[in-house]
Amino acid sequence: MSKDQNPNREKARAIRARQRVIGRELRRMYDGVAQEPVPEEFMDLLKKMDSQDDTSGKKS
Amino acid sequence: MTAQHTPMTQPQNTTREQPDDFKTELLGLIPFLRAFARSLTGNQEAADDLAQEALAKAWQSRDSFVPGTNLKAWLFTILRNQFYSDRRRAWRQAPWDQDAAERIPGGGQDQGWAAELSDTARALRVLTDEQREALILVGAGGFSYEDAAEICNCAVGTVKSRVARARKALIAILDGEEALPATDRPPEGGAAREIMAQLDSLAPDSADAARKRKGPTE
Repeated sequence: MSKDQNPNREKARAIRARQRVIGRELRRMYDGVAQEPVPEEFMDLLKKMDSQDDTSGKKS
Repeated sequence: MTAQHTPMTQPQNTTREQPDDFKTELLGLIPFLRAFARSLTGNQEAADDLAQEALAKAWQSRDSFVPGTNLKAWLFTILRNQFYSDRRRAWRQAPWDQDAAERIPGGGQDQGWAAELSDTARALRVLTDEQREALILVGAGGFSYEDAAEICNCAVGTVKSRVARARKALIAILDGEEALPATDRPPEGGAAREIMAQLDSLAPDSADAARKRKGPTE
């Protein structure tokens, strides 16, 4: 079957191809950030949570 | 009266029984929290501030988390609420990714998100916040439409239509039917019309905006 007889199918295929590229690119950006090392501030924050927890927990 | 009875001593702190587990899970989700924050703000510094705020809030609210439900979705919901409430407080806010692109000397290759200026990253700028977040959650974050709807506090059908419209808009831009926004200029063409439409709602008395709103015939 020639392309000319199925312009809609061709178009749908082109759109799907575009969506795949977009999806791949979005995941690349998102995963790129997720794979960065977690900055120190976050670890400091978690430690702070611990100490807050201790002080409130030990209150008698 | 039913035979049901209430236990005399109900366990009060079921969610606190294993705070270490909860914290370990939170720790494991930080990278994704940062990624979602980056997609909302388009700026590394603002994103990390936001992610830290959300993390602290999540810890404070840990008793309200229902064990066995989706912690990641719960955490993302907190982050998103924080983002919009921060933004409501800040009357004037730099447009998405604009300040990162302008401030970082040499373009900031380590910014990772929009500042690297791939076509898709730039094209994201013309989407509405709602479209962008829906597309990111479903298209990159791996969330179901149902979870994304919960995070965005809207109906599942709304998420589906936002994702569909976002994809359609991106395809139009990447196919060259709409102008791809540059980093330092407002987008032109159809994308500019979209932005003008948004501005219209902020400035209904502007004759110029009203004229543009009519736009070309569809």
